Amino acid sequence: MTAIDAMAAPMPAVAEERPVWAAVVPFLLPAAVFYLGLTAYPVVRTIWNSFHHVLPAGDDFVGMANYAELWADDTFWRAVRNTLTWALAAPLLEVGIAMLLALALYAKVPGARFLRIAWFTPVLMSYVVVGIIWAWIYNYDWGAVNVLLRTIGLDEWTRPWLGTTDTALPALILVTTWMWTGFNMVVLLAALHSLPSEVMEASELDRCGWGSKLWHVIVPLVRPTILNLLVLSFVGKMKIFDLVWIATKGGPLWSTETVSTYTYKRAFEWSTFDLGYPSAIATVWFVIVMAGVGVLTWALRQRQKLEY
Amino acid sequence: MPFRRRTLGVLAAIATAGATLTPLRAQAQEITLWSHWAAEQPKRQFVEEAIRRFQAANPGVTVKTTWYEKNALYAALRTALRAGQGPDVFYAEPDQVEYVQNNFLLDLTQGIDWDKVEPWARQIWTYNGRSYGLPLEAWTVEMYVNTKLLQELGGAVPASLQHTQSEFLELVRKARARNITPISAGVGDRPFTGAFLTHETLLMRLGKEDYGKLLGGQLRWDDPRVVDSLRFVRSLVEARAFPPGVATMQLGQSHTYFHTNPGTAFFPMGSWYTSRAFNPPDQGGQPADFPLGVMRIPLPDNAACPRCRTIAVGGSYVVNARTRHPDAARAFLNAFTTPEMGNLWLESVMVQTGIKADASRIQGARAGYFRQLAASNADAEYFFGIPLQILQGRVRDTFVQVVNNAFISGQASVEDVVRQMNAAQQAR
Repeated sequence: MTAIDAMAAPMPAVAEERPVWAAVVPFLLPAAVFYLGLTAYPVVRTIWNSFHHVLPAGDDFVGMANYAELWADDTFWRAVRNTLTWALAAPLLEVGIAMLLALALYAKVPGARFLRIAWFTPVLMSYVVVGIIWAWIYNYDWGAVNVLLRTIGLDEWTRPWLGTTDTALPALILVTTWMWTGFNMVVLLAALHSLPSEVMEASELDRCGWGSKLWHVIVPLVRPTILNLLVLSFVGKMKIFDLVWIATKGGPLWSTETVSTYTYKRAFEWSTFDLGYPSAIATVWFVIVMAGVGVLTWALRQRQKLEY
Repeated sequence: MPFRRRTLGVLAAIATAGATLTPLRAQAQEITLWSHWAAEQPKRQFVEEAIRRFQAANPGVTVKTTWYEKNALYAALRTALRAGQGPDVFYAEPDQVEYVQNNFLLDLTQGIDWDKVEPWARQIWTYNGRSYGLPLEAWTVEMYVNTKLLQELGGAVPASLQHTQSEFLELVRKARARNITPISAGVGDRPFTGAFLTHETLLMRLGKEDYGKLLGGQLRWDDPRVVDSLRFVRSLVEARAFPPGVATMQLGQSHTYFHTNPGTAFFPMGSWYTSRAFNPPDQGGQPADFPLGVMRIPLPDNAACPRCRTIAVGGSYVVNARTRHPDAARAFLNAFTTPEMGNLWLESVMVQTGIKADASRIQGARAGYFRQLAASNADAEYFFGIPLQILQGRVRDTFVQVVNNAFISGQASVEDVVRQMNAAQQAR
């Protein structure tokens, strides 16, 4: 038998090999158990609960009653409005400012190393700490904002920033912007540093100005990163709870009520043990968040494949 | 044989009697107690003293206490009670009717020495004729006043301890004219402290029965008497009686705002004011020489019940319906129901209690304060519970957001309050 004949000879029987699943299952099992137990089951159970009154004595099927009540619940819709405002405004602010900061660092402004650390630091703090700090900053009597305004003679501009219906939500949006812009900046900076040098050099050879280079070269190249950051920020704001709970508890007059804080109030502060209604809120919101992510992804998808 | 049978019968009877009469001594038992007041030393020391006395009187029975802050306790209890893992005895407040509705509380109608408990305090914990909680903490709504500042404004504490609404409004305007904030209040971290003036005014104006109907949803908020009462509070708001930052000011800050910096003339507050104010000044207490006076909330014109005021029961202990030691738990609660413990509460906690006590026996530096408090409450006709303890669900949430916060911070008009409260009552 020649070497070629030997190579052409049939391989040993497949039956002698261990089945593929035997190798796969041990790897999949831990993750599957965690996923099924801590994600899939709670989701399914929440949907199930939303069709029941869930009391310690047992579940009582109520059909669509929780959803019908939700439809007529003014506070819920106010919370939806606030949360959507936050989830649409904050990503644009965070990513927009982060892009400018990242470009500044990319252009190696003086003190870039220090600024990168300083701008990133807020995200290292928890929402609880941030909420307390900013509640102090916004304090009417001795908070930094009002002290500054009084110092420069703008006394009439002072106000309880978190205690007034028309400023409380914008004030909180500013807090999340302050907190998350640094994170977005670092991710965008990494994306900028990984841009293909030949494309950048080609644009310079073509005498592309900064504005044109930014708009026609850099932004299209980092577009997937921007999309991911927008989606992450959007989802984060759709779930926001801690900051509101610490700073305003949803007040004044529900002007900072978010869907998460309202769900919590209905579940744990409504003098009832029923978990059916809060489950209906959670289910509706789950669907809306999924739809929002889908729409965002579709709207910002890359329509033409970039080649370079 | 008859002798043997008789002997066995006697032995069995003795054994049964022994088991019945000395259940707490016969076997080692551990009662678990989950309590609020982790950071409130006087109350904590009071409870620890009761535990010490109980354990000394019941060898072999121990009480294992876990101290919480209130919100953490409530969250832990919700999970634990559902799972059947709750403690034997736990802290609760009378507005937590969901515990009774879901059969989590042991019926304490029998086995507690109710003769040593104030009848009104027991009544607050009574549902469908059965008693479920031992009321430790009780408090009234008072109008605390800086008497020196009041004199500087040309006012004085009247013999009746109560200004009329027009007298009070005049004092507020005088204070404002001198650039003094007239009334301290803070609702940033409490859902009820901004409503004291409003609900006490409503109570006096309507009388107990109609006020109860208002909170129960049988009387609308556009009733002319309700609107009158709201207009009085609104006139205070328009006179800039409250701190500009009232909507976000926290309770502790509002205390300091009253007695230290910047200092206000009035402070409508629960009589648990003392639990903070009587601490040393470096721990947030009032200055040692602070001229504290106790008055009644201003009297409305055409008041249906001028002597009416609210008394509320706060911190109480209840027994888990699933406890394995119901007798020991009841016996433990009885460690609190003695006149000595009632007096100890007054002396150490400096606020009223549902346990029968004799305030006149209190001596020392705070005796004068208790005389003032007693004078303020002389001949009072009590309504039991603040609105937050009576309202439920959406009406309660609306009351917190609108009456407690937005109304006194000037963000809701009388018409807004009427519209929102009526709407919430219809949707209840």
